[in-house]
Amino acid sequence: MTPAAVSVRDLTVQYGRRLVFQEVSFDIAAGQSLGVLGPNGSGKTTLLRTLAGCLVPRSGDIRIGGLMPRDALTRAGVAYFAGDATLPGSVRASRWGSLGNGDVVTPDRRPIRALSRGTRQLLGLRTVLGRQPLGLVLLDEPWEALDPDAARWLTTTLETKRDRGAALVLSSHRLHDLAGFCDSYLFLLPHHAKVVHAHDISPTSPVTAGQLAEVFDKLRGGAMSLRAVS
Amino acid sequence: MPHSVSPLRFFRVVPTQPTLIVWTFVVVVAIGIITIVREPSRSADMMVPVLLLQLFAASSGFEVPARRGHYDLLLTSGHRRVSIGLVHWATSIAPGVVAWLVLAVVEAAATRGADRRLLASGTCAAMALVSTMPWAITVRLPRFSGGIGWLLVLTLSTSVLSPVNVPGPSASDIGEWIRPAWDFLVYPVVFVGCELDLGEGLIAAPALMLALAAMLAACRWVSGASVPLEAAQ
Repeated sequence: MTPAAVSVRDLTVQYGRRLVFQEVSFDIAAGQSLGVLGPNGSGKTTLLRTLAGCLVPRSGDIRIGGLMPRDALTRAGVAYFAGDATLPGSVRASRWGSLGNGDVVTPDRRPIRALSRGTRQLLGLRTVLGRQPLGLVLLDEPWEALDPDAARWLTTTLETKRDRGAALVLSSHRLHDLAGFCDSYLFLLPHHAKVVHAHDISPTSPVTAGQLAEVFDKLRGGAMSLRAVS
Repeated sequence: MPHSVSPLRFFRVVPTQPTLIVWTFVVVVAIGIITIVREPSRSADMMVPVLLLQLFAASSGFEVPARRGHYDLLLTSGHRRVSIGLVHWATSIAPGVVAWLVLAVVEAAATRGADRRLLASGTCAAMALVSTMPWAITVRLPRFSGGIGWLLVLTLSTSVLSPVNVPGPSASDIGEWIRPAWDFLVYPVVFVGCELDLGEGLIAAPALMLALAAMLAACRWVSGASVPLEAAQ
């Protein structure tokens, strides 16, 4: 059996008194990808940030290549990007791009705030994905605001990283972004989380957005029923 | 070992200071150089604006930009959080330290080494205090909070108590030390240009120890803190 690149057990995170999600568990093997789906506010960003070692969970265990997240940052190589809004607006685009692996990502010398949203998103993605080698890629809404060319570049780059053994965790609230791309899907719903493997949804062909929507509705209905019963 | 950006390189690209602060230091140093060259005895006076500016420069704030995600690339680079915090501090205070050293060199040159008030122990103590305490206080607050708070405490102290005095070196019991020690804490300029004797050193010590404790607490927080995204809460 392939050892898990990422192993999460009974993960519970809260901000102050507000519980974001509880007892989330999943495994991802090296060279596999997990799509994290859920409505706004369900904790997708928080989950990725916890995996990146930026948040300390209330309880539960995370292992990345057998290491705690912050130790894994040193040894495994983790790429994390939470969207264009996290880039510092006053920094020149060319200088930010040089922070990845030192290569020139863009010659554009304008401040980041002067760029279009899609260009900012692409700049952030190209900078973090330029780091080598990568054992884990954590991207929050990565296809957001990208034009078709940039979206194709992203998909190809992620496939290459995955083929080279990186584990991918990608979040989105738009089902068609992740449909067909991931090996398994984590549905994050209020008070409820479930991992569904792609071959369980569609054994013979790539998963479609429609099939993901069906699973999503079924799980959401189940969760609502559970809440109604309790 | 994966390629990762060093904290020093990161904070050169993503400065901890607004450009305006750096240029203000340049102006203050230029005025200081002209004044010291013309009138070397006023070198200590030229440290007052440098210390005031350093109060705000050191109040750079760590948590707010971190919660906006500006430091994500660095926080996930694998470097120890405490070294990230210390480099953040060092880059925050660097313009002020450079400004101080430039004025000290100019003073030494202008007096042919006869007068070194800008490198006197009192000046060093004042510089150490304004370079550490505001950073530690502001680490979880918005930029300039430490500087603004410090000015408020100074103003309240002079209004409620009495004007700040140069601490007397002959304090013989603990009660007589409290007020001068407080004065040095809220207005470190009082010792600029002085070589501290034992009594003055004891007056300065509590504030410096408080600053050290605040730095340790701030580094401990940076080392272990959760950094949620503002938008994700």
